[in-house]
Amino acid sequence: MILRVVLLLWIAGSLVAGFLWAPLVPGLGPTTRVLYFHIPSAWITVVALAWSMVHSILYLKRKRLEHDDHAASAAELGLLFCIVATVSGSMWAKAVWHSYWNWDPRETSIFFLLLIYGAYLALRSSIENDERRARLSAVYSAIAFVTVPFLLFIVPRLYFSLHPDTIINTRGKVDMDPRIRTAFFAMLIGFTGLFFWILNLKVRLLRLERSRAEQAAV
Amino acid sequence: MPTGESNFGAAVWAILRKECRTEWRTRYGLNASLLFALTTLTTVSFAAGRLGDRVDLMSAFLWIVLLFASMASLAHAFVREVDGHTLTFLRMVASPAAIAVGKLLFNLVFLLVLEAVTVPLFFILMDAPPPQWGRFLALLGLGSLALASTSTLVGAIIAQTRSRGALFAAVSLPLLLPVMAAAVSGTRNQWQNLSVRSELGLLLGFTAAVLGVSVLLYDHLWND
Repeated sequence: MILRVVLLLWIAGSLVAGFLWAPLVPGLGPTTRVLYFHIPSAWITVVALAWSMVHSILYLKRKRLEHDDHAASAAELGLLFCIVATVSGSMWAKAVWHSYWNWDPRETSIFFLLLIYGAYLALRSSIENDERRARLSAVYSAIAFVTVPFLLFIVPRLYFSLHPDTIINTRGKVDMDPRIRTAFFAMLIGFTGLFFWILNLKVRLLRLERSRAEQAAV
Repeated sequence: MPTGESNFGAAVWAILRKECRTEWRTRYGLNASLLFALTTLTTVSFAAGRLGDRVDLMSAFLWIVLLFASMASLAHAFVREVDGHTLTFLRMVASPAAIAVGKLLFNLVFLLVLEAVTVPLFFILMDAPPPQWGRFLALLGLGSLALASTSTLVGAIIAQTRSRGALFAAVSLPLLLPVMAAAVSGTRNQWQNLSVRSELGLLLGFTAAVLGVSVLLYDHLWND
């Protein structure tokens, strides 16, 4: 309970800091503020995918359905944050690059993650038996775990040759204003807390549903 | 264990022969894939016209046609077993690894037959310039191996779901995007007389990674 209030206040505080206290980046103007939503969402997308894949592999080793609950819940949340990151990034791209979508390397990799999440969840929804769903989706997750690095490796090679613009590197993330940096990292921590809080709720809910189904069966 | 190895080899060979014989009896999968390839090829050729020297577009179209055609029936090897209720018998007589390798080799042979028909037709219909044969065939071979190894594994998963074939393309595609990207870029490069070494390396690495993870995962595929 206390943790929830702290989390709420933390995110509200970071949001206020980001909008009222931190300055805008020259040249980006008000679009600077997408930083506080977009990058934390993209970060959570990657964290959720890693969490889901690690729990999938743990499931294959230990065969305990709790790991599958973690994998499934993290994937659902990851998809949500991935959509937020994609849409907010696309809106920012329209404002700054004057185009919603142009297969920039970062756009390509986030879209790829979106497809992986979608395929994983579609696969889950087509298997009824709990054990079988856990096992097969964990196997799929493990294959995805192996193939993701290839795309992340090949995309910059391919698309830099097609679009030789390095605009994504000129966003000045390295020499970020100290106040922007503070608000940004506060938001990053806030999003991470939010993710693990909702994840915990979802996992507990799944556990309750299963134990209720088991009681009904007995 | 020399006997174990020869048993494994014999089991793989038997499964490959069985697959080829079943396929040849009906030619259902091959006909579907060939017709699919022909349909896609006609659509592309009809819609895009003669592309002349646009090798960037041609390499993309070539791999889209091949990908679609293979998606139409590479899941078939396992779905057929589940539909015919023969998977249990198969598992009684052979190890999961032998089944997997046998099906993988069958899928590879299947793809090569498909390409032997589709690729010449592509060159004729699209008026493509002659390729650098060595590089082109290496790309085609390694690309097929990467496609076959991934889709065999995904096919084994998909066969056990409720929707079977319908999900196969959607679930395989995200995994196959790196293969597509490397194959398209390599095919374009060989037409432009550039090096394809890094693309071939990527395809080889991808295939090795997928085969490696397959070895670890096949035991988990049929546990119930």
